[in-house]
Amino acid sequence: MTQVTMPPMRPVDVAERREASPETREPVFEIRGLTARYGTNVAIKDVNLEISRNLITAVIGPSGCGKSTFIRCLNRMNDEIGSFDHDGQILYHGIDLYGDGVDPVEVRRRIGMVFQKPNPFPKTIYDNVAWAPRVLGLKQGLDERVERALKGAALWDEVKDRLKRSALSLSGGQQQRLCIARAIAIEPEVLLLDEPASALDPIATASIEELMHSLKEDYTLVIVTHNMQQAARVADRTAFFSLDVDESGRAGVLVEYDETTKIFTAPSDKRTEDYVTGRFG
Amino acid sequence: MRVTFQEELDQLEASLQEEGALVLRVLRGALNALAQRDVELADEVISFDDDVDRLYLQIEQEIESLLARQTPVATDLRLVLAMLHVNLHLERMADYSVTIAKLTKLVADVEPDPMLLLSLQEMGERAEEMIRVALDSLANRDLHAAESLVDLDELIDRSNRRFVERVVEIVAEPGLREWVLRMVLVSRTLERIGDHAVDIGEQVAYLLTAEFREFTDASHPENNA
Amino acid sequence: MSAVQPALTMRGDSRVRRRRIVNRLAESAATIAALAAVAVLGIVIFSVAKRAGGELSWGFLTEDLPTFGQTGGGIAPLIVGSGILVGIATAIALPLGVLTALFLSEFAPRRLSAAIQLTIDLMNGLPSVIIGIFAFGLLVYGHTQSAYAGGFALSIVMLPLIARSTQEVLRLVPRSQREGALALGVSRWRIVVGIVLPSALGGILTGTVLAIARAAGETAPLLFTTSIFVNQLTTDPRHAMPNIPVQIFIWSESADPEDHKRAWASALVLIVFVLLTSLLARLALARTRRKLSR
Repeated sequence: MTQVTMPPMRPVDVAERREASPETREPVFEIRGLTARYGTNVAIKDVNLEISRNLITAVIGPSGCGKSTFIRCLNRMNDEIGSFDHDGQILYHGIDLYGDGVDPVEVRRRIGMVFQKPNPFPKTIYDNVAWAPRVLGLKQGLDERVERALKGAALWDEVKDRLKRSALSLSGGQQQRLCIARAIAIEPEVLLLDEPASALDPIATASIEELMHSLKEDYTLVIVTHNMQQAARVADRTAFFSLDVDESGRAGVLVEYDETTKIFTAPSDKRTEDYVTGRFG
Repeated sequence: MRVTFQEELDQLEASLQEEGALVLRVLRGALNALAQRDVELADEVISFDDDVDRLYLQIEQEIESLLARQTPVATDLRLVLAMLHVNLHLERMADYSVTIAKLTKLVADVEPDPMLLLSLQEMGERAEEMIRVALDSLANRDLHAAESLVDLDELIDRSNRRFVERVVEIVAEPGLREWVLRMVLVSRTLERIGDHAVDIGEQVAYLLTAEFREFTDASHPENNA
Repeated sequence: MSAVQPALTMRGDSRVRRRRIVNRLAESAATIAALAAVAVLGIVIFSVAKRAGGELSWGFLTEDLPTFGQTGGGIAPLIVGSGILVGIATAIALPLGVLTALFLSEFAPRRLSAAIQLTIDLMNGLPSVIIGIFAFGLLVYGHTQSAYAGGFALSIVMLPLIARSTQEVLRLVPRSQREGALALGVSRWRIVVGIVLPSALGGILTGTVLAIARAAGETAPLLFTTSIFVNQLTTDPRHAMPNIPVQIFIWSESADPEDHKRAWASALVLIVFVLLTSLLARLALARTRRKLSR
């Protein structure tokens, strides 16, 4: 099986990223006709959308509409579930993530993920951030790398004097920022966030939302949230998924995908309107 | 926290103050055109109003977007609502200035009565002052300044009384009848501009006190501030 | 006749009283049964200790085996021998047991994992005499007895225990940890070595200690593999090695009442060792469980 080379890890070109307007930004993901199944259950059906560089794209919708399934397809985390299967393509810079010869481990190096419940390793704060780079061979300048990552996650000032303490001694919001630092330490291009603030209190949530604004300068963010006000506050683009019930069963479908302002002021689809106004779902 | 949100609010307020500055320019232009019977200047004023309208629409849309996305509450909400109203008042003031310019054009060829013209210029200067005070009271969150607008409005009323006296004196002169009629409309318009400035002051008071109070209530003069 | 509601009192009627009595009886019965079980253990230890009499002393633990007819002497060579046998068994069973548990927990597809799980459970239930005969047939028949054979036999006893307890601790490592590491683009094995194993280490250690406590007292496997020896201190694993359980058996069949005394004393040593290590290991395991489920 020939090894497919993933696009090279490019250094951050901040100036170039900042100047592009939303319409002309380069797509990072092109999702075409994506249908995902667990055994015979169809989780999402025929999803088509593009995710652009250095933007925050939010995925909202009622429970069970396949939001988490969708986002987990983007970094092949669904591979862990034996019954998972899919149709369609997920193109990452033109390469099908599920194509022959693509190594899921390589995929996850470039497309990182932060989970709903903070899951720091039972190690020191320093080791939490340093472990993956060390293991992946990025041993040079580890201290600087850790500092950069912690600064990027707005956590450095709070922990710089206790890097050798256990990560479990941090508060929930701090632990989640540590998980973000851990993820950006290996310099991915994309950060997927699966309900990153739903296990946190309002103040910690606000700090995570604030962090996302600064993260999008260097990374492309995709966030799943069941809190649509959060999507409204944070996202540049919003994708609304909903359940479609027909003879073959229920599956999640992409109903509307647009600039966030449009979704929350004048949505095109009635289902979107019903959802964001709270009259359904 | 919510740094981006705060930046958006600040930006919106700056746009509003920019609109205020434009309105002052439009009004000054209309007053000058009136004083000098300058038709070209009047035309410039009329087309300049388009700039104000553009800014008005932009601010309106930004407020809609802000409300939808950031769900402001408490002081933030009052600020956004106040800005929504102020935006409207400013746009109306610019429209009234255009009215003055149009009226000027209509009777530009008539030799004006200097006393009447002076009264109108006085009223215009009072109106300008009120706009400035209103905008400053918003920028500085100054309740006292906002409430002082009522007194300034009194000054316009006084100038208006002098104006009416003079009108009564000269209205019989045949050559001036149409001109006088138009000037009465101009004075009416200037009064309305003053009213809108007071309205802005009311919005500032609402922002600062969380209570909406009409400064001058025509049906309940005993409640006047 | 209209229904008149009886006054509401909180005092129960006869049905409630009966229920209460049944409750009390059941509780008492359970308590008595538990106490009985504990009592049995107490009786065993007590009777062994009583019969060991004054035989147990520091000298008993450190001196050489008595030659025929002599009084006194100690079981030092037996302790050493048992130690070596258990050491060989651990060297075989520990890596195999941990790797098996890792395979089952992290890598095996479901069908295969069920089959292996069943095999381990069966192994756990194998009568120790069967293990002894098997080791005999494999390693002793046609050659000589050796400590290697004895260690091998003991490792069969230890393997399922280590595998089981390792599995239990691995299961305690939350799935979210593995997910987090996976999302970082780290390969499976690295995750096992870097995240899963370090968390489970404490539990693996205590599981091993428990297995050692068990193996130290197994007699049948050793009877077939390392029971015919010259009563000397030997540390060469290619020969049969003297050890505590077999020696207890031998002494108990002897005519000399001194030997009987020695058998009881050795039994006491064995019991105390097993009890202490089991207790310590279980306390440590509980601590590990608490740490991991935080």
